[in-house]
Amino acid sequence: MLFSRVSAIRCVMLFSVSFREGARAAVPVWIAFTTSSFALGVAAKAHGLHWGEITLMSALVYAGPAQFAVLEALGAGKPALQILFATLLLNLRFLPMSATLAPYFRGVSRLRLYFAAQFISASSFVVPYFHFQRQEQKSRPGETSAAKCESDLDFFLGVGVTSFTVWVAGTAAGYWAALHVPPGFEEGMKFILPGYFACLLASEIKGRMAALVCAASLLLAVPGALWNPDWGWIVTALMVATTVWGIEGWTRRA
Amino acid sequence: MDATSVAIIVAMGLVSYALRLAPQVLLVGWKFPASVERYLRYLAYALVVSIISTSLFVSAGRFAGAAAPRRALALAVAIAVAALTRSVLTGMLTGTLLSLLLSWAV
Repeated sequence: MLFSRVSAIRCVMLFSVSFREGARAAVPVWIAFTTSSFALGVAAKAHGLHWGEITLMSALVYAGPAQFAVLEALGAGKPALQILFATLLLNLRFLPMSATLAPYFRGVSRLRLYFAAQFISASSFVVPYFHFQRQEQKSRPGETSAAKCESDLDFFLGVGVTSFTVWVAGTAAGYWAALHVPPGFEEGMKFILPGYFACLLASEIKGRMAALVCAASLLLAVPGALWNPDWGWIVTALMVATTVWGIEGWTRRA
Repeated sequence: MDATSVAIIVAMGLVSYALRLAPQVLLVGWKFPASVERYLRYLAYALVVSIISTSLFVSAGRFAGAAAPRRALALAVAIAVAALTRSVLTGMLTGTLLSLLLSWAV
């Protein structure tokens, strides 16, 4: 009895310590999320979405590129299938991220996993992943106790829940700010989000092949969209990524 | 709020959640091959750049010929400033300001 109480108290303490540790580690993510979610809110207003729609989207989808991708399509009333397909393609990157984190959460309850899954994003993946890697180097090989898995999940939630909150609040704040922008500033508002993503991408891409993917997509997306406004840009993006990936594989083998 | 838009957003949320949860439940201890990870990364890059390109250079199903040169210039300047200053925010703000000034000037 006493032992179980002590364990419960220890678990709560472990939760709070790891959670707070995760929240502290997430501060750079909050800063990045503040600007990008704010820009998303501004862009959503420019595309004619209701504030409730974009805030709901930030809470349910919680994925900048996918949200950005569908703004125009959603505002223009384009086919739902096109929007969902774009979401699927853009969020496929969650599969390897989630699979990489899965071993660290092996011992936790399904219910907690179902809750935590919503908070996986590119940024909230990188911070915990490197933290777990560092922890792993300090511990003995193969050491994965249930308490360690719980602690890892708490750390992840510290990063994920706080970043998620910043993302949703930032989107709503951006939309509210856009309501107060005077006429004549539409061009600037239209540029904010594509400009932000372009700068973000430019700082992130490494290697000639990735640069080739970006350059080819920049040039071919417009003819693709003119050929078919709904699907053209998705088809060209798939073709570019597949072609460059194929060339890379072929040159590696050669 | 438009009911159709809300339904689409909920469906988007379900798709995204399924992609996040599936590996936690089904793929524990499974690792994606490096080439597949690379493909998914390239696909995300291609899609994001395509969106950037179409949002700046296509308007109502037509090439935005009048606005394209100034937007292309603003985009190039934004990327260059972001690379030089190593600040995404500075790059974005510079590009936004330039696109706004050019739209007023033309």
